[in-house]
Amino acid sequence: MFKKGLLFMLAFVLVASMAVGCTSRTNTGGNGDGKSEDSLKVGMVTDAGTIDDKSFNQGTWEGVVKAGNEFGLETRYLKPVGTTEAHYITEIGNLVDAGYKFIVCPGFKFETAIFQAQERYPDAKFVLIDGYPHAGDWAPVVAANTVSIFFAEHESGFLAGLATALELQEGEVGFIGGMEIPPVQKFNWGFQQGLLYASENFGTNVTVKAENVIYQGTFDNVAAGQQLAAQMYDKGVKAIFAAAGGVGVGSINEAKARAKDGDDVWIVGVDVDQYAEGIYEGNKSIILTSAMKQIDQAAYDMIKAEKEGVFPGGEILLFTAANDGIGIPKENPNLSADVMAKVAEAFNMIKNGTLVISDVQGDLIK
Amino acid sequence: MWLVFVQIFPYAVTYTIPLLITALGGLFSERSGIVNIGLEGLMVIGMFTSALVIYTLEPVYPGTAVWFGLMAAVIAGSLFSLLHAFACITLNANQVISGIAINMIAGALTTYLARNITGSGNILIVHSLSRKTIPVLSQIPLVGRLFFTQTYATTWVVLAILALSSFVLYKTVFGLRLRACGEHPHAADSAGINVYLIRYIGVMLSGALAGLGGAIVIVTYSGEFSGTASGLGFLALAALIFGQWKPAGILAATFFFGIASTVANVSQVIPALAVIPGIILKTSPYILTLFALVLSSKFSQVPKALGEPYDKGKR
Repeated sequence: MFKKGLLFMLAFVLVASMAVGCTSRTNTGGNGDGKSEDSLKVGMVTDAGTIDDKSFNQGTWEGVVKAGNEFGLETRYLKPVGTTEAHYITEIGNLVDAGYKFIVCPGFKFETAIFQAQERYPDAKFVLIDGYPHAGDWAPVVAANTVSIFFAEHESGFLAGLATALELQEGEVGFIGGMEIPPVQKFNWGFQQGLLYASENFGTNVTVKAENVIYQGTFDNVAAGQQLAAQMYDKGVKAIFAAAGGVGVGSINEAKARAKDGDDVWIVGVDVDQYAEGIYEGNKSIILTSAMKQIDQAAYDMIKAEKEGVFPGGEILLFTAANDGIGIPKENPNLSADVMAKVAEAFNMIKNGTLVISDVQGDLIK
Repeated sequence: MWLVFVQIFPYAVTYTIPLLITALGGLFSERSGIVNIGLEGLMVIGMFTSALVIYTLEPVYPGTAVWFGLMAAVIAGSLFSLLHAFACITLNANQVISGIAINMIAGALTTYLARNITGSGNILIVHSLSRKTIPVLSQIPLVGRLFFTQTYATTWVVLAILALSSFVLYKTVFGLRLRACGEHPHAADSAGINVYLIRYIGVMLSGALAGLGGAIVIVTYSGEFSGTASGLGFLALAALIFGQWKPAGILAATFFFGIASTVANVSQVIPALAVIPGIILKTSPYILTLFALVLSSKFSQVPKALGEPYDKGKR
């Protein structure tokens, strides 16, 4: 009898603790009295990885928090226990139930979850970054309460590739991607086009071998990231473009260990300026440059649009060089001024349309 | 093929060492009769403590902060494992459930603390342990290239602990008592051994070594705490069973896992291995383990009193 009761108690405690574990923290708007009259509450559901991943999730969240502070909104994020459609829908439902009617979801993998959520919760608004809602058949269905945001990763990758080739002048480079999904693939293809452009126009000799272009398959296998980077560096690769979330953390760590021993190795960062993560001594970092996407800006812009009543529902927005949605960091201590000038020139050419970067594979590697 | 082996060997060793020391910790607990599936959580505690200590101390002592971090992880791991020991030994709780509780609380608690102390749930360290090539020994043909190039100091510390553990377990009075408590605690008690005390020591040793294992992950290949040990603790537990609760067996089992996982991880980038489908390489260690466990279950050397709370009055 007693044992049975205990078992029930335990089950209850476990369920309760899981529920508590999932709901993370609430951030009430910074300007205490600034509670807005219509009290918009902004929620976010994280993708694979943590809110502090110094990359995709964190970038989005920073945009949300910035908007929250500025407009005095309540903000909150939830971390799903898994990365399937069902996990995502559960957390979206939890946010809606708690009154969060403006939900930002960063990640390609939210596509089918948002497809269902946009119909199920017509009074809520959704921002989907890096994907468009569909029923699993790739036919876009962007409802009036959803906006879908894409980035021109290929342009960002191109600029990073160009900068890498110009700075190194000669040698081999590699690419480590996370999952083989469109945003990561576009980074890869753009990066390779950047290398080619540099060799055609500036006579550099930086090449990439097919065996050094790989997709690890996850965004969180740190050990694999370290081991893959180690293998590439052992084979003579000088710089690796790591567009792989947590896998990239392992690669950065390997590069740091080698740089400390005096080796000439580099990592090209992704999504945000990763310079600080690559610091191994004083101010010296192994991050050559980073292929950035202004994720925080995108999240912020959408919240701002909602506040001003001009939420672009039903649209698919594209953040490109043309609207400063992508680029490399303004400060790149590891790039020379000459390289920076040439990259800026290419950026402007992309911006005004004289230089077009392809977002399909063509005859590029993988 | 030999070249490939030489190429990946140092990294396989790096991956194996945390597994080895954690499984060795599990051995002390299980040989004393306490199931410890909380190894995963104890590793997370070790990762968190070492990352936090190194993060705090490295501006002042850039070179030695790593070692303080390792020591702190050992202490934190053993203290945290007291929770498991208290529940299982003093309160006679179900040892599996207590272990699960340890795993759940460790991940959540450390992330919460990290966010509140450093402002971020991920703690990045700048100075990790550096790899060294040992001068004279690395010149030995074959062995030198494999074992004495690009090694971490922690590798040798862990191997020393393994040797010491083997000695303690089989050649000292304490080792005999520990094993007796796992096989037949009543007989041990009637011989005047304090079963509770021995089991407490066993569990605390497991906490200390698992904490060290987690810390080694941080200071060698990961460099960043992110609130999870990615299943390494469970892999260590599997290695403990696969290795039949013996130090030499554990060494072999963890090394097998280490090599197999490394091959799976790097296969894409090595043309000689890329011809084998990744799914086969990635699942092979686990499938082989399943087969090995099925085949060896008849001769299983599991401690006889494992998982049973010690009840003095029971006969």
